[in-house]
Amino acid sequence: MRTVARDALPVLPIVVFVVLFALLPVAVVFVTALGNAGGWSGVTSILGSPLNQRALENSLVQGGLSAGLAVAFGYPAGVFVGRYTWPGREVVRSLLLVPFLLPSLIVVLGVEDLFGAGGWVVGSLPGLAVVGQGLPAIVAANLVFNVPLVVLLTAAGTEGASVELEETVRTLGGAPARAYWDAWGRPTWVGAAAGGFLTFLFSALSFAPPLLLCGPRCYTVEARIWSLDQILLSPNEAGVLAAAMVVIFLLPALGYLVLVRRLARPTGTRVRRPLPWSGSPVVVALAVETATVLLAVVALLGAVLARTLLPTGGGSEGSAWDLLFGPATAQRLGVTVPTTILNTFVFATAAAGIAVVLAVPAAYAVLRRPARGPTLGLVLFVPLLLSPVVLALSLATFWRPLLGGSGSVWVLVIVSQAVLALPFALQSLGLPLSSLTAAGRESAQSLGASRFAAFLDADLPRVRGGLTTAALFAFALGLGEFTATYFLVTPRFTTVPVALYGLIGARQFAAADAAAGLLLLLSVAVFLALTVGGRRVEL
Amino acid sequence: MSSSDPVLRVEGLSAAWGPAPVLDRVSFDVGPGEMFVLLGPNGSGKTTLLRCVVGLERPTGGRVRLDGVDVLGQPVHRRGIGLMLQEAALFPHRTVAENIAYAPLLQHRGRTEVEEEVARQVELVGLTGFEDRRPDQLSGGERQRVALARTLAARPRLVLLDEPFAAIDPERKADLRAEFRRVLRAAGISSVLVTHDRPEGLFLGDRVGVLFDGRLERVGPPAAVFEDPGTDRVARFLGYNVVDGPSGPEAVDPRDLRLGPPASGAWDAEVLAAGITGAERLVLLQGSAGRRYEARGPPAGPLPRVGERVGVRWERSIRLRESPTAKEAKNEPGLNPA
Repeated sequence: MRTVARDALPVLPIVVFVVLFALLPVAVVFVTALGNAGGWSGVTSILGSPLNQRALENSLVQGGLSAGLAVAFGYPAGVFVGRYTWPGREVVRSLLLVPFLLPSLIVVLGVEDLFGAGGWVVGSLPGLAVVGQGLPAIVAANLVFNVPLVVLLTAAGTEGASVELEETVRTLGGAPARAYWDAWGRPTWVGAAAGGFLTFLFSALSFAPPLLLCGPRCYTVEARIWSLDQILLSPNEAGVLAAAMVVIFLLPALGYLVLVRRLARPTGTRVRRPLPWSGSPVVVALAVETATVLLAVVALLGAVLARTLLPTGGGSEGSAWDLLFGPATAQRLGVTVPTTILNTFVFATAAAGIAVVLAVPAAYAVLRRPARGPTLGLVLFVPLLLSPVVLALSLATFWRPLLGGSGSVWVLVIVSQAVLALPFALQSLGLPLSSLTAAGRESAQSLGASRFAAFLDADLPRVRGGLTTAALFAFALGLGEFTATYFLVTPRFTTVPVALYGLIGARQFAAADAAAGLLLLLSVAVFLALTVGGRRVEL
Repeated sequence: MSSSDPVLRVEGLSAAWGPAPVLDRVSFDVGPGEMFVLLGPNGSGKTTLLRCVVGLERPTGGRVRLDGVDVLGQPVHRRGIGLMLQEAALFPHRTVAENIAYAPLLQHRGRTEVEEEVARQVELVGLTGFEDRRPDQLSGGERQRVALARTLAARPRLVLLDEPFAAIDPERKADLRAEFRRVLRAAGISSVLVTHDRPEGLFLGDRVGVLFDGRLERVGPPAAVFEDPGTDRVARFLGYNVVDGPSGPEAVDPRDLRLGPPASGAWDAEVLAAGITGAERLVLLQGSAGRRYEARGPPAGPLPRVGERVGVRWERSIRLRESPTAKEAKNEPGLNPA
């Protein structure tokens, strides 16, 4: 019994944290909302209301369309990145992570800069103006986030395919297409499908793109819940809709988790191959497609950055920055921009610290006792399923009264960012921890080291890189987190992404461009720190 | 084409990884039903040679003829050459029977014919009763047998085996080797086996070729190669001591090295280690220029102490040629065999 208790200790903090700051508040909010709805008829009446129905339809359409297109664009590039070695491959692999680290608002601005009224692409190709608004604009923004994710997950699947089996199929008489179908195609499909599910979830529950690029007629369930709670002051209806949303998106979230676990079990040795001897048409097509995907991502981010540096209005170069840090912006936001930067850093650092401190012992415990995997699976699963708005709604409803009103804002922001970063911190730690063997630890112990000293001397040096990656990744996610933070903060605790949203809402596009540029530069700096020394982040 | 014409003829095959040559004008033949063994240390180019023959790598020069036809221009799947790897690489989601039926089905053979082929191969490799098992229900040796059956069911003209026993338990390895040899002979299929395991190669091969730095330095029947290694590094690889004789390097079988009191032999050496390996004793020696030697013999009698100086002599040696890259090792003082 004592052994069981000692073994459970490392996973206990993370489980308690998720229960206290995710499961319990969500359960209380759902039960209260369902109780107040007036029985089953009340629930069906809320879910059947035209606006809620439309939000659900929007979620399914935007999610489905984005997932399908993201897989279509991301799959070929993922195969190219995962299957072949070529100069700059690792840089490209890392670069693909940048959109994921960015606040959604930046991508929204990028879409407007390229395809909106007066956008640079629309200036030369007016026919593409359709991409600048409504559903196409939302899907375009979703694709910028998610195509790189599909590429990375497909590449992970491709890298796990058995080269030995593929070569054996060829020598047994299988043509290249047959080898793809029977041997190495399957893991690539698993990766792409995992990417598709993740894209569906992220897009169906997207918040900023429908808000800014289309308006209420395009609201997803996520945006509708926010609107019900914050604008229409109808928390019960928001709670019922949130509960329904969790149930509806249970299946794709489960699908993603099942597939991503299969990706973690490669079927062969990880041997990539050089590009084929001669320019095979298929390989050339894959290379061109990969270059196109990269170009699209770089163009969009470049558009945002360029907009911050080019003259705005009648001003001189850099006037956007002057506007951002000027008194008018501070007055409009209710807080100075340096304070928002400080808030952003403090929240992201604290959230990353919590996520890593909780994730390390838990991941380490799973490594030593793989049977604990399912417990940690729950931890991965909860934030994915809850979505930032549902999490923020539950935290605010349950904890704010207990913690003492608005003074608790900063606590809840940090907690929400930590919950959302937990799955990714655990994933980032998984790979470096899996390289640990008992041999090093046992050798140290046989030389007289205590269990703790053996951990410090044998294990820790080997996972230091993984720890840094997990911390930076969690920090980057906190840096760009908008949805939950926007739901929770008061002006005093405004972060840069929330300030950016405020500036866009006030149609202060020059200052907004500068704020976006600031966030972009911060994210790129974290990305560079993440990839120093060839570090690699696993999704 | 007569029945004695080679099934495989490799002519002047060269390959390179970027600027670094891996194979340097390698030539050899494999006759009908023959097992040709390519022996060599790690990194000597053995696997690259196999991959060039089967078509998974492109050579920089030379020819590969199968039954007299140059196959270098043909894609892998049309060459009719089977390849078995260290890993069995079975389809994890298919049963034993389904794995074996894979190639016959690809060849659009009739259902009855496929079933007969599977039954024949299952029986040949001794896995009757295992047809419905999946790979994860088999031992390493059983998986390799399934892989062999799957390869043979494709009816290849030639089978290439790339260290297929490397991952097998030592106790089961001998049986599996004998089984493979028996099955390949029964099927009448020519084969090329790649290994760095000297006893394995000499035991299995009808002929062996010893590869060093991408060059085939010695080819012949196992006994002939062992009795006349040719060059100093082939001799070392085959387990000989190489000493400097009056007219060049010579190979001395460790069993022919005799130890006595200091100054009683051709030269003195220091004992580095001594012990019993089972059926024989093994003494590791260090000569005056730091070169290492082995002496083996019956286990009876006292063992020399570590650090003791002993006189070394031998009664039989084999003259060798120097390998091109072995000249730097020529610092040992001249020795005069007793």
